[in-house]
This record gives sequence, C-alpha cells and structure tokens, in this order.
Amino acid sequence: MKFLFDLDGTITAEETLPIIARIGNCESQIRELTEQTVQGQVPFIESFIRRVYILRNIPVSSIYRRLQDVNLHKRIVSFIQDNKDQCAIATGNFSCWCDGLVKKIGCELYCSTAEVEEDTVVKINSILHKERVVLEYKSKGETVVFIGDGDNDAEAMRQADISIAVGLTRPPAPSLYSVCDYMVFSEDALCQLLNQLL
Amino acid sequence: MSIIKSVVISCAGIGSRLGSGTPKSLLDINGRTLISRQLDYFRTVENIRIVLGFRANDIINEVLKYRNDVVFVFNHEYFETKTGASFYVGAQYAGDYVLEWDGDLIVHPDDVDSILNTEGEFICYSDITSDEAVFVQTDKDGNVLAFSRESGDYEWTGPACISKSRLKPSNQNVYNMFEPNLPMKGMKIRAYDIDTQYDLERVSNIVKSWEV
Repeated sequence: MKFLFDLDGTITAEETLPIIARIGNCESQIRELTEQTVQGQVPFIESFIRRVYILRNIPVSSIYRRLQDVNLHKRIVSFIQDNKDQCAIATGNFSCWCDGLVKKIGCELYCSTAEVEEDTVVKINSILHKERVVLEYKSKGETVVFIGDGDNDAEAMRQADISIAVGLTRPPAPSLYSVCDYMVFSEDALCQLLNQLL
Repeated sequence: MSIIKSVVISCAGIGSRLGSGTPKSLLDINGRTLISRQLDYFRTVENIRIVLGFRANDIINEVLKYRNDVVFVFNHEYFETKTGASFYVGAQYAGDYVLEWDGDLIVHPDDVDSILNTEGEFICYSDITSDEAVFVQTDKDGNVLAFSRESGDYEWTGPACISKSRLKPSNQNVYNMFEPNLPMKGMKIRAYDIDTQYDLERVSNIVKSWEV
C-alpha cells in the first residue's frame, strides 16, 4: 500500500500560497488568480505558471525558511513518520520552496522544479502531474491511496485505487465529490481511516 | 486483542417512494432530522461510516453540525445499485465487525443500547407492521433461520452485525448478504423504517410517544 499525500491544506494546517504571497506583498493578485482557478475559469497548469510569474521576485530563501515554520496537522505527520516507507508527498510546489518542510516531515517528495539564479526563480523546469506519480506506483504493482483536497488532485484521485478527499483546512474542491471514495473533515477521521487501510 | 466495531449507516438512496426529492436522512421527525437522531444513538461509537450518494453534500453539512469525526464513504453508483452495494462499500476496510444500519431506520433508544452492547454477529427484527415486509423466520430461541417474501414470524428491519471477513460484494438487498450465513443469532427490537409518507407520519407519532 502506498499513501500519496497532497501537501497544501492536507498536511499543512494553513494554506501556504497566501503565506508566500504575503512575503512578496502580492496577496490580492494571488487571491484573484486563486478565485478564478477555483471557479474553473483558469486551468491548473496556466494558473500555476501565472502564479510563478507573480511570485518569482520573492527571494527563494525567504519562502524556503517561511515554509519550514508553517503549521502542520501533527497527527497526519505522525502517521507519515510512523510509515515512512509507505508514504510520499505529491505537490505542485517547487522543490526549492518546500524541500526543507518536507525534509522535516521525512518522507519521499514529488514536486515541480525550477531553475534558481541569485536566489530567484528564473525558469520553470517541470510541473508535477500528480496522476503520473499514481500511475508510476501502480505500474510497479502498488495499491495507491491518494489523499488531497484541491481541484488539481481530482485526476490523481481518479487514477488511484483508493482516494480520500479531505476538508481539513478548507472545504474539498467540488470536483472531488464525484471521484473520491472517502471524504473526511477532521484529523481524527482521517487517521482512523488511514490506519484501517494500512 | 479488542474487537473494533464500525457502524455503517447507508444514506445513499433517493427516497423515491416518498416522492419529495429529499433523502430520507434529512427527513424532519418532530423537529430533528433522521440522521441527527441516528448520530445521537451512536454518540459513544468511535468509528461511524456514512455511505453517501444522492445529495451527498447536504447530508455532509447536516452531519457536520453534530460531529466531524465521521468517515464518509461514496457509493457513486447509488442510482443503479441496491442497499447491499452501499453496505459493502461502507464495510470495506472498516473494523472487524460491522453493524449495518439503514439510513431510514428508527429504533427505540433502549434497544439501541442493547444492540451496541451485544458482541458478535446477530440480526435484528421487529413485529410486523409494514405492508410490503420482508419476513424473518425464527426458531424457538429467536435465532434467524430464513428471510422470506411470503411469510414469517417477524419483519426484517435491521440492523444486523457481521464479521467483515464474511462479506462479499453484492448488488442485492442487505438481507440477501446475510442469507449464506444463516442460521444466525436473532434479536427482537422496536424498529421502524420509513418508505412512504404514511410511514413518516406513523413513525413521528411513535417517536413522540417514546419521548413522553
């Protein structure tokens, strides 16, 4: 059994994008783009690229440090740490931003990558398609459980053997209602379910 | 090793015979929704699973008013499947023993306590009150010997409890899933399910008399 976790809002107890935007004083731009994305007016990949353009002048080291201190769902982190070999994180975030945070949690990381020069993102190298990570594990014969809350998790959930939509930090994206096997709204419920699936 | 019991409440259906477009879980019974009454039955149960289909979001919002540690399970094929399919998806990966509870079932609170305190497998039944009952045939000790559409001593209402390991995928009714395991221990309770507007009015009056 392989458990793949979304990071933002699933493992973190606060949304990281507004936190990053705050560092660069571009909260309103990010908020507007997020709303358009949530409403389905901007597809995820386009939204990601536009987001990076808004945030690219923020020093990478500032984001890296701030994300290391972000509040986490402690019981979910404990589950991951107790079952490290079976758990991984799949996030659209850049490794140069969230690597430190994920090292703290201590499991494998699948993420987007960027070229960094003089503490600034200068080029997007890759954007993570979470469903490809699911398919890769399935091709190795793993039973994959995907846990997430965003619209960009829907395809990964569709491909996973078992999918859990969570509403821990924000409500689950509406698109997840038609694909998920399970839905939970507290760490209690999620940890109970994860331990039953183990 | 302690035995973990999960309660699976099946709330996926449309409630078509009531004809109101409201899932049975959201029916108002003397000022409280049916699902809120059921959650009250299970306030001491740690592992509650609610199977959803029709108007899932509305039922979730109602449940979250009372507790947030419920695991919601989706039966996306709720329109094409019978109650057995909902029970099966709800029971997958659940505790060792699974208590099946229909989303339209009202049980006397004293009997709920007896049900929750009973260990192992069993099937509950009631006095016959429905026009289109599934009958339960029992032996002299109350054990369940058979289900029948023709005749029997009691009416099948559920709930019923079974070891998860004995459950197989099904697109039949819940009682059909128990048939291969008969005879099973039986328990007579005061229970009523709600299929029609008449049932709803009758059950509302019965619940009122229990609360006096």
